[in-house]
Amino acid sequence: MWMSAAAQEHGGSEGFNAGETIIGHIADTVEHPIIHLPKIFGIDFSITKHVFMLFFVAILVFTIVTWIVRRYLKQGPVPTGAGNALEFVVLWVRDTIVQPNVGQKWVNTWAPLILTFFAFIFTANLIGLVPIFETLTLLNHWVFHAGPDTAFYRLLHGGTTVTANFNVTAGLALVTFFAIIVAGSKAHGFLQHWKNTVPPGFAWPIYIILIPIEILGMLVKPFALTMRLAANMTGGHIAILAVISLVFLFTGMFQTPWAGIGVAPVSVILAVGISLLELIVVLVQAYVFTLLSAVFIGMVIHVHH
Amino acid sequence: MDNPLVQVNPGLAIWAIVVFLVLLFLLRKFAWGPLLRFLEAREEKISKSLDDARKAQEELERLNRESADILRKAHAEAEAIVSKSYAEAEKLREEMKQKARADADAIIRDAKSQIETETGKALRQIRSEIADMSVMIASKLIQRNFTKEDNSELIEETLKQIESGPRPN
Repeated sequence: MWMSAAAQEHGGSEGFNAGETIIGHIADTVEHPIIHLPKIFGIDFSITKHVFMLFFVAILVFTIVTWIVRRYLKQGPVPTGAGNALEFVVLWVRDTIVQPNVGQKWVNTWAPLILTFFAFIFTANLIGLVPIFETLTLLNHWVFHAGPDTAFYRLLHGGTTVTANFNVTAGLALVTFFAIIVAGSKAHGFLQHWKNTVPPGFAWPIYIILIPIEILGMLVKPFALTMRLAANMTGGHIAILAVISLVFLFTGMFQTPWAGIGVAPVSVILAVGISLLELIVVLVQAYVFTLLSAVFIGMVIHVHH
Repeated sequence: MDNPLVQVNPGLAIWAIVVFLVLLFLLRKFAWGPLLRFLEAREEKISKSLDDARKAQEELERLNRESADILRKAHAEAEAIVSKSYAEAEKLREEMKQKARADADAIIRDAKSQIETETGKALRQIRSEIADMSVMIASKLIQRNFTKEDNSELIEETLKQIESGPRPN
């Protein structure tokens, strides 16, 4: 699918630019948003591809999860099928991620946040692996023939994985950042929470060093979350796209499509391998973001000095 | 920066936060909340059921122990009753035997003494009757006029008769 999409966009008459193609498949469509919206306080709220994908993922997660839960609750004490699977995931998140970090007292307060993090990030990561829009591009090429000015055509461009955009991951990390403050304030009171950030009982000159370090640490946590998730998601996609690009690069280099066709099996095998690896990365990164959020929240609830 | 991969886009970040928070709110209300409550209730129910089962088991064991105890006691009691009644029966038998023997002895003794009394009485009567008869004979003899020879012959005969019959005393 990637191959076809790339072919549709760039594989024609002119030379193939792998870098541009890859970026086109990952980056957001800030320059050509799907729906233009006016700027508020100099901030562009236009519905770009990634904003659209945020909606899409959120609606998908909400629909699926709510549907399963409603069915699950109707089933009574012995669940089957999807309800069983969801129960397993929820119990796993609650009992291995939330509970050990925030403690029994706060489990029900923070489990919904952590569960939403996990469901949202995992779904967003996973959707990035499904070439929906490349398929739609192909269909457009052969069936729909939508013009370049239509919203549908603009929808087809840009990256699918919102979590590969560090603006999005920064937004999510900001949620964690504030959740940490809320958790500390809820557990110890607002002022006590800030007092807890530095260990008590040192001479005042120590605090001149300690306070900036703690503030830095406070900011580094969400920054690390932001970068880890976005970079991991971007990296895998670039690898897959680069491997697929080999087909067109070979075609261009040897001036014959047979070179591209010849290298295609290698590209496909490698792409499949990396995709399988990506399946693991997708799960692991959702887990890591979720776990670290829980750990950070737990750290301010159980202050160790 | 030219690279669109590292373009700062605060609008997108704000969208991400808004979308996420809305999703969080909705899921919390419609999915996670009810689900977590359900799971908790179920866990409570399971642990309570297990607890109840354990309690029932303990109760059952206690009852078993008690019934075994009762049985054992009943056995012992029954045994005691049986052995006691054996002993009592033996005692009773012995007593009856002794009483019977004593009764028999008493009857025999009575009979003996009665026999003796009767014998004595009979002898005394016989003796008095003999004496009467002797007197009667003697008077009859005296009333007749015996000769000397007749007299002596009669005396002789009478003496012989007395000597040959059973002697009194």
